[in-house]
Amino acid sequence: MSKKVKIVKGSGGFGGPLVIGVNGKKDKVMYVTGGHKPAIVDKICEITGASSVNGFETSVPEDEIMVAVIDCGGTLRCGIYPQKGIPTVNIMATGKSGPLRQYITEDIYVSNVDVDQVSVAGEAEGAEQASETVQQASSEETEKEEKTEQEATYSKDKKIMETRAEQENKSLLTKIGLGAGKVINTFYQASRDAVETMLHTVIPFMGFVALLIGIIQGSGIGDLFANIMSPLAGNIWGLMIIGFVCSLPFLSPLLGPGGVIGQVLGTLIGVEIGKGNIPPNLALPALFAINTQNAADFIPVGLGLAEAETKTIEVGVPSVLYSRFLNGVPRVFVAWLASFGLYK
Amino acid sequence: MDFIVKLAEGFINLFQTGADTFIGWMGSIVPLVLMLLIAMNTLIQLIGENRINKIAQKSAGNPLLRYMVLPFLGSFMLANPMLHSLGRFLPEKYKPSYFAAAGQFAHTSNGIFPHINPAELFIFLGIASGIQQLGLPMTDLAIRYLLVGLVMNFIGGWITDFTTSYVEKQQKVKLSKKVHIEG
Repeated sequence: MSKKVKIVKGSGGFGGPLVIGVNGKKDKVMYVTGGHKPAIVDKICEITGASSVNGFETSVPEDEIMVAVIDCGGTLRCGIYPQKGIPTVNIMATGKSGPLRQYITEDIYVSNVDVDQVSVAGEAEGAEQASETVQQASSEETEKEEKTEQEATYSKDKKIMETRAEQENKSLLTKIGLGAGKVINTFYQASRDAVETMLHTVIPFMGFVALLIGIIQGSGIGDLFANIMSPLAGNIWGLMIIGFVCSLPFLSPLLGPGGVIGQVLGTLIGVEIGKGNIPPNLALPALFAINTQNAADFIPVGLGLAEAETKTIEVGVPSVLYSRFLNGVPRVFVAWLASFGLYK
Repeated sequence: MDFIVKLAEGFINLFQTGADTFIGWMGSIVPLVLMLLIAMNTLIQLIGENRINKIAQKSAGNPLLRYMVLPFLGSFMLANPMLHSLGRFLPEKYKPSYFAAAGQFAHTSNGIFPHINPAELFIFLGIASGIQQLGLPMTDLAIRYLLVGLVMNFIGGWITDFTTSYVEKQQKVKLSKKVHIEG
């Protein structure tokens, strides 16, 4: 029998420890890291005897994936595999973040993993886990017992609203009450989600960008940047060059992850617009120029969400990279044409 | 001594500039985006996912519906990344093209509807904050971003139909043009 591997989080990482081994059909380590193969993939394969698959080039049926290895900076991929119930190892130090952050939990996700964090799982840990599952099972049983005792009109684990909602003959008044309650609850839940997104996704990025702006403007590097950026981003030809470089098919998947590079470029250009070094109407073509690599790293995952066949993913990745390249520069040009009359 | 004080002041100044920028955003952009997010999240919940799925099923035949209407509505209703899941209603051949268009709609509509892709909002906001600093309205930029996107993202999806055919020939495979949905 092959051994199991134990993966702990690196310093500043999140989640884990995960203990994984080959289990029936699940014998593939899939890495979706923009093409290169992280060293931990080899180590995991060596210990467990699993085979490795580059998820960027081909796809693997979900039920054959033992573990997914990703390099996500905190936007999408880090949540997608946990959502599907696939143990996920992130080589970046990303914690619970991104739109799917609720699926990122300690028992299925571990981040900032390098070779040192991967080791052979000892037998002691196996025993520990077993005892934990026994405990869980026994606590579930006691819960069941409690539930069977409650068969009265109102039960202690349900609110009056919930009990009413289950009754068959609702009076008009109850219906109105339930309807209003549902709408208000929807608003409240939407607000909770929105605040969560702001706190965990938008504000951290703002902090990072604000610090970047502070350092650029306060240190005098800003003048240096202005000298480089203004001739490049200050006219349509320079913007088209930026768009061209970002859309190169061998470069675009590397520039994609998390949109971080696009967002930093955008901020740099924004600073120059604010200072008056770049005319404001060029903001529109600039938006297109810094983002011609848009989602290029995400193609196999996105096609996976569309339940595409393996064949489609193998065709789709180069196809979308080519089409991004073909329409990258024209997008910038059209946006420039559309920017006439803006802020005049 | 003076030199050390100057140095320390310069050092703190780096962070003070950043702090001023940050609190400026916290007072202006954050509340606005938050209110938008709440309103949009509620709207989406009330409309429900089923309706957009129905639209997706009917959009397979026509490129204009497939690469313009569907990804635009999909990005609004399902947001990033779940809008890509609508591709499952399309034939295999068109899935890469839908992805190409949808990925771009997740940005071009983001200026007016930040709930679509809050994690990558700074693509728009980074540039737009310069506009704001000049005292000009951001909305003008956001609307033109959306409109140019509407046209160019459609063309992007449509071009991908051709690149897909090209790669098909290269790899000597043929992708099905028939819709195939399990379950």
